[in-house]
Amino acid sequence: AVVSTQSGHYGRGASSVFYDYATEQFTTVKVDGEDTLITKEGSLDGSKRFYDPKNSKSFTYNYLKNEATDVEEEERDSGAEKWREAIQTALKSYLDEFFPAHVTAVYGKLEDDQVTITVCIEDHKYNPNNFWNGKWKSKWEIKFPTAGGFAKVDGAMSAQVHYYEDGNVQLLSNKKVEESVQISSPSEGANNVVEFIKKSETDYQLAINENYTSMSNTTFKALRRNLPITQTLIDWHKLHGFQVGKDIMNKS
Amino acid sequence: QRRVAITDGNEYKSYLSMEGRDQGVKLDCALDLMRRLPPQNIEKNLSDLIDLNPDLCDELLASVDQPLKIAKCKKTNKDYLLCDYNRDGDSYRSPWSNEYDPPIEDGTFPTDKIRQFEIDANFAFDLYREQYFEGGISSCYFWGLDNGGFAGAILIKKTGDGSKMFKGSWDSIHVVEVQEKGAGRNAHYKLISTVMLWLQNSRPESGTMDLGGSLSRTAEKDAPVTDMSSHIVNIGRMVEKMENGIRMTLDTIYFGKTRDIMNKTRSLVDLNIRGLTDKLNSQLADALKQHNTFKNKEN
Repeated sequence: AVVSTQSGHYGRGASSVFYDYATEQFTTVKVDGEDTLITKEGSLDGSKRFYDPKNSKSFTYNYLKNEATDVEEEERDSGAEKWREAIQTALKSYLDEFFPAHVTAVYGKLEDDQVTITVCIEDHKYNPNNFWNGKWKSKWEIKFPTAGGFAKVDGAMSAQVHYYEDGNVQLLSNKKVEESVQISSPSEGANNVVEFIKKSETDYQLAINENYTSMSNTTFKALRRNLPITQTLIDWHKLHGFQVGKDIMNKS
Repeated sequence: QRRVAITDGNEYKSYLSMEGRDQGVKLDCALDLMRRLPPQNIEKNLSDLIDLNPDLCDELLASVDQPLKIAKCKKTNKDYLLCDYNRDGDSYRSPWSNEYDPPIEDGTFPTDKIRQFEIDANFAFDLYREQYFEGGISSCYFWGLDNGGFAGAILIKKTGDGSKMFKGSWDSIHVVEVQEKGAGRNAHYKLISTVMLWLQNSRPESGTMDLGGSLSRTAEKDAPVTDMSSHIVNIGRMVEKMENGIRMTLDTIYFGKTRDIMNKTRSLVDLNIRGLTDKLNSQLADALKQHNTFKNKEN
């Protein structure tokens, strides 16, 4: 849609808007045939250069065409790699069990003796022919000292649906959680983290479903009834009779 | 300025072409954007669009439905709803007192005949509102049309009590156009209705959950007329049937469709198990089919 034709309007301002939007939405892109995500964690320059941690590749992202070009080999952060790889592996069976079409990116970095692993999960279903779209997004940040011990896990999950046939309806939901998880060795720590992610995401989805049931049965009815208490449609002739009666009373 | 009831999208587009094609294209794009942007941010989106295109301001305000605002009638102390149809400049006309707030010189008023009808309509829809909404606010505004017919807007707003962790609000905007025919014994009614529904929940287990948006529908009918009160009956029945239909569709879409779509992005059931269940179901279906074919052959 072209709403404004002021020249120069789509300058630097617009590209930062594209960056903000694509990274916030966990936009998916194919890099050498493999899906990865556009995220802030995967950004190399805060603009167009991004990183796929699973295949160790960096690329230039074209926002308008949703294309990856100038693909290069990119080294992973070796200080965090054993932890990153363990979590990525442990996640796979959980994701395949619960997400019909997920795209995931697991990033790792080591800074000042602290390891940070960031897990970004996305699963969407687009059906523009039937005027609807839906997306699940979750981001899990796992921070712990290189020696292991306990990890602080921060999670942010969101569900979004848009339905727009003869109208415009949106579901927007998000939830944050945090927990301390034991992380003594890569494989054991990874399993604990994935267990926590699985429980959090499942509980969240169940709670959304419960809300739907209460909203339909209680909140919606409290806004407008199905039918009046009489359980019949209104007698409009009678309604007008009340008006006439009131006028007569007012006049007398 | 008289407001013409626009009940047909094509009618509106041809009205726009009188102002200039470019303007029409811009408005289409703006409306298209509004349709796709999150409905929870209607006011901000609308104001941003108007900032980009100040010359579209009037058309946008007239064609995009926003959640209804409430004002208190200074004379009667009753609440009434604000919309473009009771607005003149920056003032709004109360359906109870028929006065503008803030007061203005040369404000637009309905004729005496239409005002009497408006009073009757407000009374009738007040009772309708109480029967279906058990609370809330309603307001009706009517005006004459240049071609001899008349039109009106019937508005209803109900907000949830905000108790516990659920909040909600329902806004109805019904715009009706009436043309008498057959020497006044019949009338043709055109109705365009929009319902905006917002539901919010903030239970800790589900974080924040926001379900919001609107649906629009149209209807047309012919009905017999003996006097002005027949219009109340005919319009009332039409609005009631329309709202009940929209309510049912809202139920299906809000609580059925969006929930199904959400559950498609993440499965509640282990997909491996579901895959096995699906396989088992289809094997059972095949076995049953074979069994029935065999039985039919026997007979």
